[in-house]
Amino acid sequence: MTARCGPRVCLIVVFLVLIGVVAPSQIVLELREGETPGITDLVRQTPTRANLKRLESDLETKCRLAQAVRPWVQYARFVLLQDAGDKALLGHCGWFFYRPAVQYLVAPCPLPPTVGTQGDIFTAIVSFRDELAKRGIKLLVMPAPNKSSVYPEMLAARAETAAPVNPTTRAVLATLKQAGVEVVDLFEVYGQGRVGLAPPQSLSDGNRWGKPHPTYYLAQDSHWSPEGMRLAANVVARRLLDSGWVQKGSVRYDTKPVTIHRHGDVLRMIRVPQVERLYEPEQIDCAQVVNTDTGKPYVDDPDSPVLVLGDSFLRIFERDEPGSGGFIAHLAHNLGFGLTSVVNDGGASTLVRQQLARKPALLAGKKVVVWEFVERDIRFGTEGWQVIPLP
Amino acid sequence: MKVVLVMTLSLALLLSASCAKKPQTADTGADAKVTTLGSIEVTAQLEEIPGEVRNDPLYDYAHVMKYKVLQVQRGKVDKDTIYVGHYNPAKPRDAIADARVPQIGGNVKQFRVGDVHRMALEVPIDDYYMGGIINKYFGQVNDPIYWAIWTNKVSK
Repeated sequence: MTARCGPRVCLIVVFLVLIGVVAPSQIVLELREGETPGITDLVRQTPTRANLKRLESDLETKCRLAQAVRPWVQYARFVLLQDAGDKALLGHCGWFFYRPAVQYLVAPCPLPPTVGTQGDIFTAIVSFRDELAKRGIKLLVMPAPNKSSVYPEMLAARAETAAPVNPTTRAVLATLKQAGVEVVDLFEVYGQGRVGLAPPQSLSDGNRWGKPHPTYYLAQDSHWSPEGMRLAANVVARRLLDSGWVQKGSVRYDTKPVTIHRHGDVLRMIRVPQVERLYEPEQIDCAQVVNTDTGKPYVDDPDSPVLVLGDSFLRIFERDEPGSGGFIAHLAHNLGFGLTSVVNDGGASTLVRQQLARKPALLAGKKVVVWEFVERDIRFGTEGWQVIPLP
Repeated sequence: MKVVLVMTLSLALLLSASCAKKPQTADTGADAKVTTLGSIEVTAQLEEIPGEVRNDPLYDYAHVMKYKVLQVQRGKVDKDTIYVGHYNPAKPRDAIADARVPQIGGNVKQFRVGDVHRMALEVPIDDYYMGGIINKYFGQVNDPIYWAIWTNKVSK
């Protein structure tokens, strides 16, 4: 009986010690730094849902003991269980996936997708299209696929190589097209681009699949690779020119190869340096766009007939290193003139249009707005899909 | 159980010692940064943090909060209530500067309704910060949004 009780008592003691030590030690540390203990917010603030949620989040993230212990626990979980934490998923061959994007792919979603009471995507996009039309401006919408929609086989061995685009995404694209919204379907573009090519994990398997080819997404990152980005820029440029919405300009641009090395954002968001050190920084061969006449890297033109709106898919390679090597610069290269752009990280569903509403001068002289947003924003867009009237 | 009791008592003693060790002194929040950065400097009380403060490792957001202005040290502020965008408010101000927003900071560890802050500001936010702005007042309030460059805590 005593032997049986031993582990139980031990566990109870450990649990009680944790309860007895963590909270008081946190209070002591906060007081020593001259701060009011965070737990007092429980009585200092009205106990609304938002306040309680914020308090819970603060207690979790600011606990010093947890901060000290967490990296080592996460490292152990990663090494032993391949658990990459609550934001990342480990795929094959060192590929990492952003968990909310995978959740978007596999979890059922109602139609039309709504984010709380913050509107639905159809109303928001059609309303924006109509607002622009009143000003004589055309709208071209381009959802950027989640990495897991293009390379599912790198996430799960049993997934088909053909991209299993979420039914919600298919329905959204179809409904938008029915409503007369011009849409660039990158799912189809990437799907066609991958026909006959080897899956990325076989690139190191000798020449079974013939010549190695670049992939459209980065292994450690949630974003597209330079190749995927350039393909998107080519498709959009062709659509704009073929439709006659804009004419090719006379500014000459060249591209300059630049190789960068960096850990991807999904790997970094695990926030465990010990895990990052397990992986070499990814080598990325970029092409920086330079003005042929001046020799200087591409810069935006506020007087351009084209305004590009979007999120971090526009930021990568453009405002991050190497600079002037992202979607905006390559679209400008293909069109032969500079563009105006508004890049709003993680905010392409609503925040970028709020930004535009605060600065309507950005629309002066525009003929076309190209609006990029990441696929998962269909369901998880920050601040939902609000209708934002333009002033 | 004795262990827990002993540890709890020890911590209680440490707690009281700690409380006694630091007598509360008035701190106006003034320092070399807050008094020189930006074109506006105010002391204001945080009245409201609308919605949930996002702590997303993938993205950086500014979150707009409502303040009651107590004193204007520099520049011109027309109203008693102002709306201020704080960059990534889930993080302490002394660890907030990054490659995209390199010159911001302060000594506020945590944003709490009721606290008084001394802030160096610019306005409007869109002229100084290009990125996601969570503004729950959008469409309800047409006042300009201030951009918090430096945020220090004021204690009484």
